[in-house]
Amino acid sequence: MVELGFQQADLLPLAPEIAILGSALLILLIDSFSRGKHGKAAVAIAAASVAAAFAASLALYGTTAEAFGGTFVVDGFSLFFNVAILLVTALVVVSSLDYLEEFYPEGADELTEYVVLLLFATAGMMLMASSRSLVTAFIALELAALPSYALVAFAKRNRASIEGGMKYFVLGALSSAFLLYGISLVYGATGAFDFVAIADAIAAGDVEPGVLSLGSLLVLFGLAFKVAAVPFHVWAPDAYTGAPTTIAAFVSSASKIAGFVLLFRLFTTAFPAEVDWVYAAIVLSVVTMTYGNFAAAVQDSVKRMLAYSSIAHAGYALIAVAVFSAEATGDSAFALGAGMSHLLVYGLMNTGAFLVVALVDDYYGAGYTFEDYAGLGRKMPAVGLAMAVFMLSLAGLPTGGGFVSKLVLFAGAVNSGFWWLALLGGVNSALSLYYYTRVLKWMWVEEAPEDQVELDRKPLALYASILFAAVATVALLFAFAPVIETATAAAEALLE
Amino acid sequence: MVPPSYYVLLSALIFAIGLYGVLTRRNAVVILMCVELMLNAANLNIVAFAAYLGDVTGQILVLFALAIAAAEVAVGLGIFILVYREYGTVDVTLPRGMRW
Repeated sequence: MVELGFQQADLLPLAPEIAILGSALLILLIDSFSRGKHGKAAVAIAAASVAAAFAASLALYGTTAEAFGGTFVVDGFSLFFNVAILLVTALVVVSSLDYLEEFYPEGADELTEYVVLLLFATAGMMLMASSRSLVTAFIALELAALPSYALVAFAKRNRASIEGGMKYFVLGALSSAFLLYGISLVYGATGAFDFVAIADAIAAGDVEPGVLSLGSLLVLFGLAFKVAAVPFHVWAPDAYTGAPTTIAAFVSSASKIAGFVLLFRLFTTAFPAEVDWVYAAIVLSVVTMTYGNFAAAVQDSVKRMLAYSSIAHAGYALIAVAVFSAEATGDSAFALGAGMSHLLVYGLMNTGAFLVVALVDDYYGAGYTFEDYAGLGRKMPAVGLAMAVFMLSLAGLPTGGGFVSKLVLFAGAVNSGFWWLALLGGVNSALSLYYYTRVLKWMWVEEAPEDQVELDRKPLALYASILFAAVATVALLFAFAPVIETATAAAEALLE
Repeated sequence: MVPPSYYVLLSALIFAIGLYGVLTRRNAVVILMCVELMLNAANLNIVAFAAYLGDVTGQILVLFALAIAAAEVAVGLGIFILVYREYGTVDVTLPRGMRW
């Protein structure tokens, strides 16, 4: 029997999430007394709460605690992803300060709403990382998704933003329905929502195998939508292209990371190898990375190219899902840890790349095609260098953490006997070099046209975010060992 | 007592009707109603299983799911109002500025 009511012991492990939610409510309270006047204060409060949540996540590291009757669990795994999600949120919150004022002057009054929606979505994503019950997982996922729909459509007078928001919402609602239906079938088959109880019921053999397989497959589909895996990706290019670019950075990084956390935890804890869904994961992984790369290669728009590149990266991370679910002879904790580290690095470099687009395309209004980036590298060397770091690191060259994280990801696959999956990933990375270097060619090699826009304004916050992301990406190349060790240790604890 | 398989069949039917509507309709509001139908099919399933298993957790999830569905409608209708302002209709096939 579950005890009703909760104690202080339940609240402490969830301090990071509570800090984020509390500050969001505080900003709403301030805003309701002085409508639209305190946008900058809201950003400051949000930044402070993200910093506090970040510190709390680091302070909690090493503890393992259950909260609220085991529906939430705070362990190394969830805290690792808290850190990754909070890094992305911090970059997005800080850069929004310049971005929103310049690009959406009419939206500057709504800066508070924007920040509050960001914080609610962040809290939902962090709760997804700690959920260990289908009930809390579903609620957390919706808490992350609903503000994201509103944020994608945030530029209310911009047709692309509205179109992206509509597509994201309709397909997102559809995927929620699939997810909830899948949850209902899993519940019917096993009689439990708790991941551990589901695994116990499966181990006891007291389940309807057909209902369980269908249910877990529908849950997989719902989460595949979240991480934008092909063929559940149709919303992603339009939503990322239409959304305000800072939001595109947020949704394509943080939301994807959160979807993967849930995928990892669900399919390690609740559905162990008895449910034979490894083929689904392999197919999703291969199709996703191949399609993402080929579609990215033919784009004219840098932003849309990045949207497809983020789909391709979901394919790489799915390699980890395929490997640990196959229960092959190799070290599946290492493979899972590699997937986790790759997501952390990916979050930084992908956010950074989108923020460069936010600067060039939206802030300066230079345009969105590759040609519009001509000569920008020499005019803004710091941003040009940062973009070079992001692009080459996304492609997997040793300018940043992307090189080592991809290396360990493929090494984990080879270790577990999936050498051909690693090979496919390697071929795809080589292909991706084509479109990533295309940006750099236009930025550094081509001459700027005579009539290029003025680049004299220096948005400090946006610059700072881009440079921070670049420095962190490079630093992860040299300081990758502690990251992969922490991730592998967390994965081992999860797989026990 | 009605055996749970009856409820499962009924809910599968409702889910299929909802899915059919989502795939064939062009009006965004009707699509939203069809999605609600699919969500309620899942809710019906959960309630039936909860009653059958004598477990109260399922019924609690349904309460949350209903609240979430209401929030989803609020966000969705907000977005549809923006679509209506721009395009004068809520036909989901009309906004097609982004194609490759």
